[in-house]
Amino acid sequence: MQAPGPGDAEMDPRQRPLLRRRLGAFKVMTWSLVALLVLIYAWLQLVRYWEFKQLALQQAVKVRPIPAPRGLVLDRNGQRLVDNRRALHLVIQREDLPTRPEVVASLAAALQVDPAALTRKIQSYRLAGKGRPLVLKENLDEAGIAIAERIRARFPFLGVEVAPRRVYLGDELAGHVLGYVGEVDEPLMKAKPDLYRLGETIGKEGFEASGNDKLKGLDGQKRILVDQLGTEVANFGQEDATAGRSLYLTLDAGMQKIAQDAMGEEAGAVVVLDLRDGGVLAMYSSPSYDPNLFLNRLSQDMVDRYLANNLTKPMVNRPIQGIYAPGSTFKLLVALAALEKGIATPQTAIYCAGKKNFYGRDFRCDKPTGHGSLAMVQAIAQSCDVYFYELASRLDIDDIYATAEKYGLTERTGIDLPQEKRTRIPSRAWKKKAAPKDPKWYAGETISVGIGQGAVGVTPLGLARFYALLATRGKLLTPHLFYGFRDDQSNELQPAPPPAFKDTPLDPKHWATLDEGLAEVVQSGTAGANPFIREIAKLVPFSGKTGTAQVATFVDKAHYARQAKKLKDHALFAGYAPRDHPQIAFAVVVENAGFGSTAAAPVAAKLVKYWCLDRLSNPLPAPRGRMVDPFAPQPTETQE
Amino acid sequence: MRERFRALDSRLLWVILALIALGTLTLYSAGRNTPQAAIWLKQSLWNLIGLFLMLLLATVDPRRIFRYSFPSYLLGLVALAAVLVIGKKIGGATRWFVIAGQTFQPSELMKWVTLLYVSHRLGSKGADSVGRLELFGAVGLVVFPMLLIQRQPDLGMALSFLPILLLIPLMKGLRARWVVALLLLVGVGGFGAWKFVLKPYQKQRVLIFLDPSADLQGKGYQVNQSRIAIGSGGLIGKGFTSGSQTQLNFLPVKTTDFAFSVWAEERGFVGVLLALGLFGLLLSRILDAAREAHTYAEAYFCAGAAGIFSLHLLVNVGMVAGALPNKGMVLPFFSAGGSSTLSFFLALGLIMGVLHRARVK
Repeated sequence: MQAPGPGDAEMDPRQRPLLRRRLGAFKVMTWSLVALLVLIYAWLQLVRYWEFKQLALQQAVKVRPIPAPRGLVLDRNGQRLVDNRRALHLVIQREDLPTRPEVVASLAAALQVDPAALTRKIQSYRLAGKGRPLVLKENLDEAGIAIAERIRARFPFLGVEVAPRRVYLGDELAGHVLGYVGEVDEPLMKAKPDLYRLGETIGKEGFEASGNDKLKGLDGQKRILVDQLGTEVANFGQEDATAGRSLYLTLDAGMQKIAQDAMGEEAGAVVVLDLRDGGVLAMYSSPSYDPNLFLNRLSQDMVDRYLANNLTKPMVNRPIQGIYAPGSTFKLLVALAALEKGIATPQTAIYCAGKKNFYGRDFRCDKPTGHGSLAMVQAIAQSCDVYFYELASRLDIDDIYATAEKYGLTERTGIDLPQEKRTRIPSRAWKKKAAPKDPKWYAGETISVGIGQGAVGVTPLGLARFYALLATRGKLLTPHLFYGFRDDQSNELQPAPPPAFKDTPLDPKHWATLDEGLAEVVQSGTAGANPFIREIAKLVPFSGKTGTAQVATFVDKAHYARQAKKLKDHALFAGYAPRDHPQIAFAVVVENAGFGSTAAAPVAAKLVKYWCLDRLSNPLPAPRGRMVDPFAPQPTETQE
Repeated sequence: MRERFRALDSRLLWVILALIALGTLTLYSAGRNTPQAAIWLKQSLWNLIGLFLMLLLATVDPRRIFRYSFPSYLLGLVALAAVLVIGKKIGGATRWFVIAGQTFQPSELMKWVTLLYVSHRLGSKGADSVGRLELFGAVGLVVFPMLLIQRQPDLGMALSFLPILLLIPLMKGLRARWVVALLLLVGVGGFGAWKFVLKPYQKQRVLIFLDPSADLQGKGYQVNQSRIAIGSGGLIGKGFTSGSQTQLNFLPVKTTDFAFSVWAEERGFVGVLLALGLFGLLLSRILDAAREAHTYAEAYFCAGAAGIFSLHLLVNVGMVAGALPNKGMVLPFFSAGGSSTLSFFLALGLIMGVLHRARVK
């Protein structure tokens, strides 16, 4: 053994007991420490076992929804209007949402977005209930995928999700009719948490919205084991999603295309109804929009183009949301009211001198030199204003309202699209509500209503429905777009019964007068003056009524002289074709385009030509369900 | 030679071997499903080297080792200073030398060297005869490397020097007023450290310790996940390599600081009892060594070693259960790491040597 060094002082035997006592105390402390730790672990592992077990399960076992593919949308001939394609989204699973500000900041930098916006997005997403992953970037293109892969190397919690993507095939062809899909709004989701899930895709506008329940299908779900990064480790089984059903619309894509081309750059609306069941064959709102653009986040460019600062209001679905003075197209209702009230017969002749004084004020006719003496059919054909001023003066405004109510003009048509506006037919009761400061109805106001001016405002669809009623001798149809389901096996149309129609007490004698008047309009009247119309009418005789609705009074015109185009009259044309055996009814409005005969009637003529001539090689699909046949024997006639 | 080994303390050896077995199983399970799947092999290599060094040291007369304590201490200080200058920066802290691709942490060994030197200094005279000056000198000897380590910064490591500061004067039979004075010193030092020494993230840790629910996603996340792992282990555990928290990587740094949570999750309360029991036996045996020591220096070293091991046990096992702040203090035999493993084995070698000499004589 080595010699003792300075630190090797041998222990004094007398001190050993003292040392041992102290070390004994240390030993007790040591075992107490161990016992304390045992108690802590007993508390966690024995007492709070269930609580922690639940927590462990909750974060490792996830139920992830499997989104159901949305049904397709086809036109009545089976032509696809909406298709599904694959899209890739950059997503974060709910449980992986970053919290640390520095992570969010560097993620925002990598994605080239505003960090504050990203933080807000994450926070609002976190607050909402459980659901689909948070979509950071939608519809990645090739470059986007490359960037996403690079970013994922740094942020492994990012995922790429494959999801079906809507593609609207006609671009702007039927934007308003189809609408578009988007993520469900937070308020809607909170209002109906049982129906909608966060991040779910639902129809936002148009038929995508109104047909959402039919199109959306049933989401599946899978129970999976995930690791800390949210990566799926094991699958405990799944319920597959049930795809939404593909739907046929009553729309005829060819007809719709004619409408689109005919409208061109002009603003306005086109509606064509199938007289057999009220199906909408064409519904075009001009200017239209491309729903595909709404699948991505709205860019400022799009906001400018479609929403803000756009005087042409492309987001308004004019056929059901545009309220237009019907102009002369309203004269048919006034004539009908007069016939029913008995204040005029078809033979009643009224002299037109170009203007007439009522209640101390001159009301002008369109023809300043006057039409001379006219009976009802000629008055309709020539669209003589004085004739209808006179009828209106013999009627009460509430008579006109009652007639409009009887023939369905005062109500919404009930079309299966969201946000349809109600036609505005004035009455005494209406004015009390609309103008509480001046609630009295003046007799002079009735005169203006007589030619479809003043307080009258109709939607093009409402107008088309009224002319459909005239064409069908009194059937009040319910316009609709939903035509039927696509059979999953045969991929063929399974027609759904059309909405019910209503019979109105339209007297056949009165109808005959109106029908003759409308035919004369095209043959020899205001529309017949147009050579193009004449040419088409020679091939397919059809009926209709022109309308030219004043936008501004003369005083207004002077005041707003700079906006000349905006102040031109709206041109209208409503009618049905072919004359002897009507299949379709239509209404056309061309805004600020001048005369109905020159601007609107040619659009209608193109539709008539397409439907009755060009389409013959492409016959109508078999009829479905309950049908209206306007030429079936009328029950009233057979009884008499 | 053979006799020397035969005379080794088999009780201590068996406890150590058992703890190594537990630690190896834990690391095997913790490394699965991670890029570190082979970490149990690497750690086993360290364990073998450590065991070999331990047994080698056990046969050496401790007095010969104490004789090198001063130069070792000086060398340690130089190393701590050097690491601040040429050390490798990992995760914001400069604690490591890189030698041949291996990282080496000088502070791990310095802890034991400091204990060795302080024991040597205070043990040079008989018990209860140490002067105030020597005592304050000893405090200085401990605080100086602590401050160097805190510069890295490494609060956990610095705090693991505390047992040296507390235990040795107590072993020397310090009077109550001196204990009070020392506690005051620690208190004032703690306040000073909070004010001037602690980095914001370290303060954050202490604050989260006081209210762990404050930051579940950030700093509190790790401890929260660890508590879930431990608690969901229940009485008998989820089974070897079957802990969901461990295997699905919810448990953070599970091969080092949170290795014990892996064991607790997969082996349950029964496993915890076994591990803590083994640690208790280990500590008891170390204190036995202090009882049977021939010199004061040996006794102080063993007592101080028991203190350091106890602190590691308390802080790590308490921390992963959420009962103590997350200071990043490793658990001997469970946490992977070369420097700490070698240091623990070297200290245990010296302790075995003490027991050995006590039996041989």
